[in-house]
Amino acid sequence: MTMLAITDITKDYGASRALHPVSLCVKKGEFVTILGPSGCGKSSLLRIVMGISQQSGGEIRLAGQRIDMLPPERRDIAMVFQSYALFPHMTVEQNLRFGLRMKNVPKVEQQRRIAHALDICTLTGLTARMPRQLSGGQQQRVALARAIVMQPNLLLFDEPLSNLDAKLRDTLRHELVALHRRIGATSLYVTHDQAEAMAMSDRIVVMNAGRVVEIGTPLELYRSPKQAFTAGFLGQTNLLAVTASGRQGQLPWGQPVDLATEAMGPAQVSVRPESIGIRACDHVSSAPATVAGVSFMGASALYTVAVGETLLKVSQAGGDALIEPGRTVELTFPDRLPVLEDRVIEDRVPAREAA
Amino acid sequence: MPALLRDHRLLLPLLLAPGVGYLLLFFGGPLASALIGSLRLEDGSFTLAWYVRIFTRPSMLRGLGTSIYYGVAPVVVSLLVSVPLSLAIRRHFVGRKLFSGLYKLPLAVPGIIVGLMIIVLFERGGFIDRAVAPLGLGLPKLVRDDWGVGVILASVWKQIPFMTLIITSAFAAIPEDIRFAGRTLGASRLATFFLVEVPLAMPGITAAVLLTFIGSMGSYAIPDIVGPPTARPLSVLMVNEFNQGRFPQVFAMGMVLSAFAVAVLVAYYTLTSRIGDAHGRGDTK
Repeated sequence: MTMLAITDITKDYGASRALHPVSLCVKKGEFVTILGPSGCGKSSLLRIVMGISQQSGGEIRLAGQRIDMLPPERRDIAMVFQSYALFPHMTVEQNLRFGLRMKNVPKVEQQRRIAHALDICTLTGLTARMPRQLSGGQQQRVALARAIVMQPNLLLFDEPLSNLDAKLRDTLRHELVALHRRIGATSLYVTHDQAEAMAMSDRIVVMNAGRVVEIGTPLELYRSPKQAFTAGFLGQTNLLAVTASGRQGQLPWGQPVDLATEAMGPAQVSVRPESIGIRACDHVSSAPATVAGVSFMGASALYTVAVGETLLKVSQAGGDALIEPGRTVELTFPDRLPVLEDRVIEDRVPAREAA
Repeated sequence: MPALLRDHRLLLPLLLAPGVGYLLLFFGGPLASALIGSLRLEDGSFTLAWYVRIFTRPSMLRGLGTSIYYGVAPVVVSLLVSVPLSLAIRRHFVGRKLFSGLYKLPLAVPGIIVGLMIIVLFERGGFIDRAVAPLGLGLPKLVRDDWGVGVILASVWKQIPFMTLIITSAFAAIPEDIRFAGRTLGASRLATFFLVEVPLAMPGITAAVLLTFIGSMGSYAIPDIVGPPTARPLSVLMVNEFNQGRFPQVFAMGMVLSAFAVAVLVAYYTLTSRIGDAHGRGDTK
């Protein structure tokens, strides 16, 4: 069942368009992440869903009801802010109770929900604290608990972990995923951190320059991206030109590769650094590849390999002896390389706007 | 000298001297000399007679009441205007920049000119009176009236910019996200304002109230020019006594006025801090 349906939402600031028609949906209980670089329009979209900003066109439905004309307090959406946005003049408990009081939830039910939220966010014992007496991680958990007690149809997250240090971010990321499994709240999560998006999401919506670039599961988007932007934004990649003929392709230096889909003529493929095999060899093969640089990353080594004009990123796992710069190497490519679609997603103008 | 500086008992007072010393010299000094002056007869002997006069003579008692009235009433009126004004300035509207420059103008106008302005505008036979006369209307007595409406008008005119300036920045200091959090948690615009924004802006509002209260309670020019002749505040009575050369009486009245100002300050602080605490009492258990 579709819980949230965003259809052709646009946002114009004067003459400039911040959101081109954007459409996406979130199924009940699903965890969907909107991923994109800063300025891609993801925050504008979130503010429109939340109700603090008005869209220029399009509509939003939550649980079947149209909500885009309603003020934020009547939308049945709870939000976890990047800045936590806890009420500094209220204790943890009062923060949690605020929304329930506003929605006239009976006292007994308030108590039950608060106790439950405190328990699952491991905040028991901190109820009488003021927000300023809590650590960053604790504050973020209070913000989360404050949203959960509302039992909303939709939970929104606006980069909730980006103000925390790396280690805490990691812990909280796991806690969030575990929590989502337990309560099954329909969630829309906004972030610019691709690792976060991949680790947490059921599906990822990749956005760039006010448009949805691609939607898919983390695995699909990583393994077989359809757009060059997706390939480059989710992890590292090598974008290589190939001359295709059916399922066969030829790299610029003549090496044949196997393609995932059929194509004809010039095309582009994405090859992940870790899927290229690298091996030192003495004889000069058809492709004269030499190591131009190497950096040791701990669990892996990252090579820069020059083949003619092209520079390739190649990652080799394990603690094998490093191949020194200047050595000739042999590269092997995996089968079924994803061919990128060259087209730009067309800007559909809804009929009523064109009128 | 280095040895002197190494002695910590000496070092501390030395470091504090520029700040505390200044206060002692220019604030504590005059205050102490006024206090001593208010307790002396002409011949230098100790007396409480000057204070007795304040609390027994009807004109003096009335003056004390009037001072407090002229302190409190304009603040209440100004507050009722300044808070909505602060919220309006926060929003975007055409001409906002011009408006936020213009509303500060009264800050630069001295009290005596404000008083004269009120007379010119609001006195019977004044500008507004003559303007509405052809319509068969007349102004009620607004200048030198028994309720001191003229004084309140003049003080309010002068206070609003100052109060608005402070309250605007108090509201501006509240992060946008906190307001939005209130809204997404089901609070209407109004509920968010009263339950979230006002408590958070309280320190600024308190400061604005106290500063304007003290200013208008002690002001002389405005009540002297537009106030009623029957009820004169202590500040005006003080000048009368001063002109008659009764300095100990002036000192005593000054002390009483200051004591009342301090008392109101303390009362207000206790009250508002309790309001703040009601929302957020409780450290670690």
